[in-house]
Amino acid sequence: MKIGIYFCKCGTNISDKIDSEKVKTGLPSGPSELSFKTIDFMCSEDGKESLEKDIKENGIERVVVSACSPRDHENTFMRVLSKAGINPYLMQMVNVREQVAWVTEDNEKATEKAGRYINAAICRVELHDPLEKKEIDICPDVLVIGAGPAGLKTALSIAESGRKVVIVEKTPVIGGMPVRFEELFPNMECGPCMLEPVLGDILHGEHAENIELLTIAEVVDVVGSYGNFTVTVKQKPRYSDIHKCIGCGECIEPCPVSAKNIYNCNLSERKAISFPFAGALPNAPFIDEAICLKKKGYDCSLCKDACPVEDAIIFDDAERTIVRNVGAIVVAIGSDSYDCTKIPDLGYGKIPDVHTGVEFERILASNGPTYGEIQTSQGAAPKSVAIIHCVGSLDKEHKEYCSGICCQYAFKFNHLIENKLPGAKIHHFYKELVIPGKEDFHLYNHAKENPNSTFIRYNNIETLAVSEKEGKKIITNSADGSSVEADMVILCPAVVPTVESGKLGTILEATHDKFGFFEELHGRMDSTQSKIKGVYLAGTCQSPMDIQKTMNQGMAAAGYILSGLVAGRKLEIKPITAVVEEDRCSGCRVCVLVCPYKAVAYDTEKGSSVVNEVLCQGCGTCVAACPVGAIKGNHFTNNEILAEIEGVLS
Amino acid sequence: MTEQKTSFEPKIVGFLCNWCSYAGADKAGTAQSPYPPNVDVVKVMCSGRVDPQFVMKAFEKGADGVIILACHPGDCHYKEGNYRAAQRFRMLSRLLKQFGIEEGRCRFDYVSAGEGEKFVTVITDMVAAVRALGPLNKSEQAKTA
Repeated sequence: MKIGIYFCKCGTNISDKIDSEKVKTGLPSGPSELSFKTIDFMCSEDGKESLEKDIKENGIERVVVSACSPRDHENTFMRVLSKAGINPYLMQMVNVREQVAWVTEDNEKATEKAGRYINAAICRVELHDPLEKKEIDICPDVLVIGAGPAGLKTALSIAESGRKVVIVEKTPVIGGMPVRFEELFPNMECGPCMLEPVLGDILHGEHAENIELLTIAEVVDVVGSYGNFTVTVKQKPRYSDIHKCIGCGECIEPCPVSAKNIYNCNLSERKAISFPFAGALPNAPFIDEAICLKKKGYDCSLCKDACPVEDAIIFDDAERTIVRNVGAIVVAIGSDSYDCTKIPDLGYGKIPDVHTGVEFERILASNGPTYGEIQTSQGAAPKSVAIIHCVGSLDKEHKEYCSGICCQYAFKFNHLIENKLPGAKIHHFYKELVIPGKEDFHLYNHAKENPNSTFIRYNNIETLAVSEKEGKKIITNSADGSSVEADMVILCPAVVPTVESGKLGTILEATHDKFGFFEELHGRMDSTQSKIKGVYLAGTCQSPMDIQKTMNQGMAAAGYILSGLVAGRKLEIKPITAVVEEDRCSGCRVCVLVCPYKAVAYDTEKGSSVVNEVLCQGCGTCVAACPVGAIKGNHFTNNEILAEIEGVLS
Repeated sequence: MTEQKTSFEPKIVGFLCNWCSYAGADKAGTAQSPYPPNVDVVKVMCSGRVDPQFVMKAFEKGADGVIILACHPGDCHYKEGNYRAAQRFRMLSRLLKQFGIEEGRCRFDYVSAGEGEKFVTVITDMVAAVRALGPLNKSEQAKTA
């Protein structure tokens, strides 16, 4: 085998310290034919040219580059090898600049060390296998789970680039939580109005034809990996055709049955056929089959009789199973509120007029249960309102983290209560106040300046108790014996993962953090990527966050997908992956357990572990873990590393 | 004996992960911070790739010490390879003791990509520690194995 050793002098950076002549004379004698050349600046155009020329002219089969750190120029020289017509992986780079010349005081010792490294590289490179990048076909389409701000932002961005998107939304309505909020912090923007352009574009925009919207639907199965997922979706019947329905609402009035409306937090009723709330999109009602007389077998068709459009109401609509191929998946399923009954002394669920923040949002909404009027259960306008912050947040007994949005919406409530109920007293019970950002302090200052607003700090939510006396709510703090009266109490519960989070995580094999939020690849660098390649996270399913961050994450997910998965371009798989020798695999599955990327699976038919090259990142943990040596780490094989160890020690 | 120790130059093999520790060593290089030349680096993509047999091989082939350097806990480029490495190191330490190889000859530490100075300190300490221990006295059996 003919091995070319190319010694870069790097001007004087290397050659001042390391004597190339001594290195040359100290080269080992072995079976391979060695050729030693020095080059002044190998990374320069001239240097690369002479390297390429020498490889070609002298029939070099393996290359050792003694130069700077491979972190600087390994790729540069690999490209030269390719140009010279040999496989780029048939090279070993020796870092004699950063790790020898620049850090060794004694020239002789530096020269000796460089010699050992070069010897090790020769031993190693003799064993190198030529490796090829693989390319696989990809599907550029995308699945977005959740039609809140994050999911819609992603979906729209991808659709605008001409790519197909499937949106799976569990409810009949799109827009997530903010479309249910009359006004948003920090600038008191109308929630539905702010989202209207996005919602409109999703449904009827220029690129709407690229979007398949599946409401009342859930993902039930996902197989495959980045670039090629097969997704199964179950869609429950809506009993109305969102394309034919004109949204006139004529069907609603004649319907003879009703039940609590969960879209108004059960604070009002809705007919068996109706919209979740006025203005909900898509603008087509849906039938609640649990209460619909027709679905219960009665001969009722009052809604259909009233409908002016033929076939807009479909009584025989049925559950559908929809299978789609996509290349990437975006999880944007949002979050939930902490269950306030877990702090029973706050009276939630027992004492009337104790509401959660989301319930109060609906009370404030002009399309809500009271059409925007703040009323107690007795129908009166409250003269005083208590807002309890940090309900379950920043609390080791409940949720250790700060939910980050509660202070802002609590001060938004302050502002809205002030406007709607002039002169009403507003009491803020808080543990900590957290108001980051360049805009959010306005509402806080506003509340501070309001003579009717008081701020009461507490240490531990467990010392707070809400009781009722003659219609008044009494909030007592047993820590100091104080008490405050109010007509209404609003609790600001911690933001928590949704109940669907766990199930979906299992389907996607995506992990959760200790709180149950979807776990990001890296908290700061890659909070939009999950630990499963090709599965992205956007919005509050990853962490509590406000709409701004949610939207940014939605865009970040779109960015990853648009740059990583390009229609017509194949997905390149780097060859430094693990490979299982199926005959040697004993089936112990230790590799499956240690793989941080779920790239190794056990194939019962083959009776062997198999590595998914798309998911494998080449860390080699499975290689080291395999008790029978059945897994080879490409470019870092046991033999290569052992040869290198022997090489530095010989 | 004293004379032998002072003139003794230990041979140490260092297994460095590509993303943190190897980059930390480069950082020491760009800062031109000198350290003893006794540690020869073998790069692996992840400290989780360090198979205990690599360490055994190093001792077998004449190393007086072995050092494994990994990303700090929570910083592993491959998420958790450094934890695997730490687990394996604990097991390996017990094994080495049984072979009569002193504890200080095999060390595990964390060096981040930014910690050029820490790399210098860790390497300098390691070399001093192994120098103090003297050459690895392998039994004749181990030498011929």
